[in-house]
Amino acid sequence: MKKDRSALSKIWEFLCLFHHGTFVDKRMAVVRKEAYDINDNLMMLLFGDFLGIPNPISYYMLELLPYMAEDLVPWQRRMQNRKFIIAEKAAQYDFD
Amino acid sequence: MTSTDRKVNYRPFTFFGGKGGTGKTSCAAAYALALAAQGARTLMVSTDPAHSLADAYGAEIGFEVVKLEENLWGIEIDPEVEAKKYMKGIQEKMLHIVSAAIVDEIKRQIEIAYTSPGAEEAAIFDKFIELMESLGERFDAIVFDTAPTGHTLRLLTLPEILGTWIEHLIEKRKKAMHMMKMAARYDSVLAEKIEEDPILDTLTARRDKFDLARKILTDPERSVFHFVLNAEKLPILETARALELLRNHGIATGGLVVNKILPPEAGPFFEKRREAQEEYLQDIRSRFAGRKILEIPLLDSDIQGREQLIRLSPLFADLDG
Ligand SMILES: Nc1ncnc2c1ncn2[C@@H]1O[C@H](COP(=O)(O)OP(=O)(O)OP(=O)(O)O)[C@@H](O)[C@H]1O
Ligand SMILES: [Mg+2]
Repeated sequence: MKKDRSALSKIWEFLCLFHHGTFVDKRMAVVRKEAYDINDNLMMLLFGDFLGIPNPISYYMLELLPYMAEDLVPWQRRMQNRKFIIAEKAAQYDFD
Repeated sequence: MTSTDRKVNYRPFTFFGGKGGTGKTSCAAAYALALAAQGARTLMVSTDPAHSLADAYGAEIGFEVVKLEENLWGIEIDPEVEAKKYMKGIQEKMLHIVSAAIVDEIKRQIEIAYTSPGAEEAAIFDKFIELMESLGERFDAIVFDTAPTGHTLRLLTLPEILGTWIEHLIEKRKKAMHMMKMAARYDSVLAEKIEEDPILDTLTARRDKFDLARKILTDPERSVFHFVLNAEKLPILETARALELLRNHGIATGGLVVNKILPPEAGPFFEKRREAQEEYLQDIRSRFAGRKILEIPLLDSDIQGREQLIRLSPLFADLDG
């Protein structure tokens, strides 16, 4: 069973890679998107308490504000608008 | 009592902790006086929000370092003042980088983080580090009078706990930057933006500060934590637990100061109390065998100034063994 699944996932991986290789632009968009997603997650770890998620270190994270303030407001908007996130995620997997 | 010729074999950083009301502030001040008397430039630091250090010593001490007498300085850390200073620095920096409109928009969020549960401890902790860094230049020894146990333990274990957390943040940021760089191969604007990363720099600087604090706190040559307790049941149990916890965090624990011991001259009225006390003392001696145990008598009045502290301070010469 396990073997089958890993074989399947290999094929899937290959298909993905093949697909990305064919459409460089699209691929870069995905990479870029992924980078932004990781950053969004990071923002959550840094400033989660702004959304009501307790953060053990939030006092120290204030010193990052000068560099992140600009991204903070749009990020909060994105996080609060879950529908928007789902739409974004869907767009990411649109392989047309 | 006169001052003895015995020199205290002190560490640069000495912490006095224990349950509320056991005599931490009085002991820290008496110990600091002993160090000052032998010529060590000594700073007494209070983190206790009640700030009884000034009462114990009998002089005004504020949130800035003040000289009290030859070789002795004092400061009462005020977390609110420290947090305000910290925020002011951030706000100034922010105005250089982002527009006032944005600063305005996130004001409320700043307020949230600023008043978060850990903020007070973090503010005290930063001041600790700042003072510790001033060792050598201005001071030979710093004596910390800490707040009641739970609070202090959280404070001292802060660098370990937050260090792990911040390490994780650094990893995440690096990963994001890596992805950004890949994307940036086709995007010169983005490439320029990530050329240098103040976020990574800030996180790394903070981590290094935690590392430094942790190194100092876990170095038995530099830091030691003495417990003050009374010959009663609850303080004994609490002390045992706290010693265990500090040990788990790699912080060296030193002696136990059993304070407020009823002396024989207390008279027949206190005989029963003294019997109970003797039992608890036995318990302490066997439970904490191998540790330096200092017994400090209850004075005939509260400690309200230098004169009384001076009576106690020679007794502390033995504390560091
Ligand atoms: N050996 C002593 N003889 C007489 N009074 C003492 C002695 N030690 C402490 N006291 C008195 O007991 C009270 C509590 O002492 P102190 O303020 O030093 O304790 P603390 O542990 O720092 O308290 P807190 O937890 O409130 O900070 C004070 O009024 C002090 O003057
Ligand atoms: Mg006190």
